[in-house]
Amino acid sequence: MTGRGQVRFEDIVKMHGEFSALKGVSFDIEPGEFFALLGPSGSGKSTTLRILAGLDAPTSGRVFIDGRDITATDARDRDIAMVFQSYALYPHMSVYENIAFPLEMAKLPVAEIDVAVKDAARKVKIEHLLDRKPGQLSGGQQQRCALARAIVRKARLFLLDEPLSNLDAKLRMETRAELKKLQRSLGVTAVYVTHDQEEAMTLADRMAVFMAGEIQQVGRPAEIFAKPNSIDVAAFIGSPPMNLLAALFADGDVLIAGHRLKTALQAAGERDVVVGIRPGALRIAPDGLKARVELIEDLGDTKVLDLDCAGTAMRIRVGDESVPPEGAVISITARAQDIHLFDPTTRRRL
Amino acid sequence: MTTKRFRFVATMVITLIFLLAWVFPIVWSVLNSLKTDQDVLAYPPKLIFQPTLEAYRDVLFGSGSILPNLISSFVISIGTTVITMLMAVPAAYALARLRFRGKKFAGFYVLATQMLPPVGIIIPYFLILRNIGWIDTYQGIILIYLSFSLPFAIWLLVSYFEDIPFEMEEAAYLDGASRMRTLWRIIIPQVRGGIAVTIVFVFLNAWNEFLFAVVLSGNTVRPVTVAMFNFVSVEQTLWAKLAAVSVLAMLPVVILGIIAQKNIVKGLTVGAVKGGGRR
Amino acid sequence: MKPATATAGIATGTAASDLGRVLAQRERRFAAALLAPAFMALLATTTFPLLFLIGTSAFRMDLAMPFADGFVGLENYRTLLTDDRFWSSLLVSLVYTGATVVLQVALGLALALLVMDMKRGQGWFRVVAILPVVLSPAVVGMIWRTFMLAPEFGIVDYLAINAGLGSKNWLGDPLLAMISVIVIHTWQWTPFAFMVLLASLASLPEDIYEAARLDRASAWQRFRRITLPLLRPAIVMVVIMRTMVALTAFAAIFTVTGGGPGTATEILNLYAYRKSFTELSIGYGSALAVALLIVTLLISGVLFALRRAK
Repeated sequence: MTGRGQVRFEDIVKMHGEFSALKGVSFDIEPGEFFALLGPSGSGKSTTLRILAGLDAPTSGRVFIDGRDITATDARDRDIAMVFQSYALYPHMSVYENIAFPLEMAKLPVAEIDVAVKDAARKVKIEHLLDRKPGQLSGGQQQRCALARAIVRKARLFLLDEPLSNLDAKLRMETRAELKKLQRSLGVTAVYVTHDQEEAMTLADRMAVFMAGEIQQVGRPAEIFAKPNSIDVAAFIGSPPMNLLAALFADGDVLIAGHRLKTALQAAGERDVVVGIRPGALRIAPDGLKARVELIEDLGDTKVLDLDCAGTAMRIRVGDESVPPEGAVISITARAQDIHLFDPTTRRRL
Repeated sequence: MTTKRFRFVATMVITLIFLLAWVFPIVWSVLNSLKTDQDVLAYPPKLIFQPTLEAYRDVLFGSGSILPNLISSFVISIGTTVITMLMAVPAAYALARLRFRGKKFAGFYVLATQMLPPVGIIIPYFLILRNIGWIDTYQGIILIYLSFSLPFAIWLLVSYFEDIPFEMEEAAYLDGASRMRTLWRIIIPQVRGGIAVTIVFVFLNAWNEFLFAVVLSGNTVRPVTVAMFNFVSVEQTLWAKLAAVSVLAMLPVVILGIIAQKNIVKGLTVGAVKGGGRR
Repeated sequence: MKPATATAGIATGTAASDLGRVLAQRERRFAAALLAPAFMALLATTTFPLLFLIGTSAFRMDLAMPFADGFVGLENYRTLLTDDRFWSSLLVSLVYTGATVVLQVALGLALALLVMDMKRGQGWFRVVAILPVVLSPAVVGMIWRTFMLAPEFGIVDYLAINAGLGSKNWLGDPLLAMISVIVIHTWQWTPFAFMVLLASLASLPEDIYEAARLDRASAWQRFRRITLPLLRPAIVMVVIMRTMVALTAFAAIFTVTGGGPGTATEILNLYAYRKSFTELSIGYGSALAVALLIVTLLISGVLFALRRAK
């Protein structure tokens, strides 16, 4: 079943009165892809998902699924399944009845429903819970029940709205891996909304980064991590976040606090730039930028040092081997290819 | 810690006095209903006596039995409850969950109808019902009872519908359920508790109503709250029987009140909380 | 926007907003269908009678003397302004409402504060408080009139005799009758104020009090500066609700004194009823009911303004 679940957004605009929630969003999702919509709250990622589901109508623009314009198609005729953030399990129905509900609405014969429900429950490992009510399930089990209700229909598109945000940290990690396996084994296209960049990075084949109603960047997670195309994306992706500091660019070098650092950009002339360096890309080395260690955050396997570099706060991530004490003045540097340069006015990558 | 001890005793005494004040008239009626007429009239009042169910037997099965009046009360209250719920549940759902123009006004209208003094409703209604021959009929009384039971039930139910997350409807919609089916299969089962509470209060209010009943009742339809006046007249008061009738009239509402105990504050303040907030 | 996509934008704009319009329209129709029965019933049982009432108030309509009926315009209202019984019933209404509401709130609040810290026995209070509130005011009135207040038979009279006050005609004396109906109403509805205020007290955050205690606020200061302001919305709500009910109280007075002796306990509501259904002057009774509506609206307007003020 190739070609099932291809999505195309074309210039989607969504106005809530005067406020524009989406300002012309366009992107493509390939069949079978795990696609994440990533962004801070209020950035428009959930609105995008709701428009794809048919729960909201866009103000203008078009949505295609498998090449067909479905902008004006009723949600029920779109062949889409969705997992809600709150799971939206029907509390008065048993797990079995919850999973069976979409098939029942589709008027499938009872025997067929029974087979499909048990099959879906097995896939998410809740076949022993079918008689329970949602209220008697743990958070993780509820989440699986919601997944089962979504996959039971074998819809061509599988939408997930922050499905892991109500789980505790440990469970979230486990479920994340299982979710990915499930999606692969089903071979279904999944669209996944999250504000957690780590989740998006680990789960998604590709992702779209949303900011203020616009898509900043679309690409594979590693690509976006390596080459964020704006200051905002750079600041949003990666933990701890990228160090961003104002500096002067001069003939291929940047001047930070009187210190010269080589960059990969070959250009002549002088201009103001914003320099971005990931904490993990900074290194302690002689003859570098002088900075004072303000605070040491111990993460166990690595440590994050908060630095004061001539009045600018910076962070560096170091291994166990060479940790200077708090208050020490150290010298740091970075390789040319690890230095990102941005235009301070357009905020785009240079 | 003598002041603490004094405070404790004072609190106990004051609260006990209040408890007694609230319970006494009711308990006293129950006691009197179990007395013979001589015992009722005894001076000083008798607390210890030989209890008898004679008064109950007389008012239920004797001449001038109030059994038909009890039946009237039940028919009116149940009829009002059924019709009210059939209308209020859909209306409350629409007001709580659907988007449409004039929703605020609709909600305000429901609330505003409660401002009308009942006496202002009964005067025109009496004239109208008299013209169409509906005085002393169940349909006449039940119809006018809607004037107070509907706004009450709608507002109480709205508060329960609002507690359900919006994702319920969206999930059901994506699962392929129609709006009507969503309401029936997904939403209403989740407000069963709220519907039960509303039923209790609508029944209670209908059972207790007096003004409309006094004006519109007659020999065929006369609820027990009105009929109890037969036992008090200028010539003589039938004390034990009056007590028995009072107890019979109190019994259903007291039972319902205790069943709905936990929700009673919500039931009593409905509309006020919400209504003020919506202004 | 680039010119190439501009035309496409317009074309798709219609398709997109079409769905929005269809969804909105479907929702509107569904809402209309759900609301229709209830709103028809409300129109028929409240709005229509109100219009009819205003109409009737412009007529002379006497069921005892139908031959004299006819349109009189504002005549009924003119009569009303010079009607001593109207003004006295208005006064009785205000006294009855003011006294019962103040008593209910004061007693209810005091009791709620007392019971609040009780470890045991609070459950008893909660159950007992329900009893008066769920009863029919007609039954309550009847019980008080007979078993409590009847001369030489009721318990109150018995207590008065034993206290050396002698037997009183509790419902026959104008002043005592007024006090009696106020006490009865207060007896029945103080539990309401008590329950609402107790629930509201219980919902106040504990840590505020702990903070205040650390700030060395005395018990009285804690009450004045913390409890009372936080409780204000609940108190105002109780006042509004109880005022509306007291203004249109009927059974609670009708079954006890019938408005008497004379017109001593005749509140405006009762006057409108008596005029219409005892004296059968429906036209004038309607004018009195309209006057009651206006009084109700005026008072609720003041109370709601009070509620909004901070």
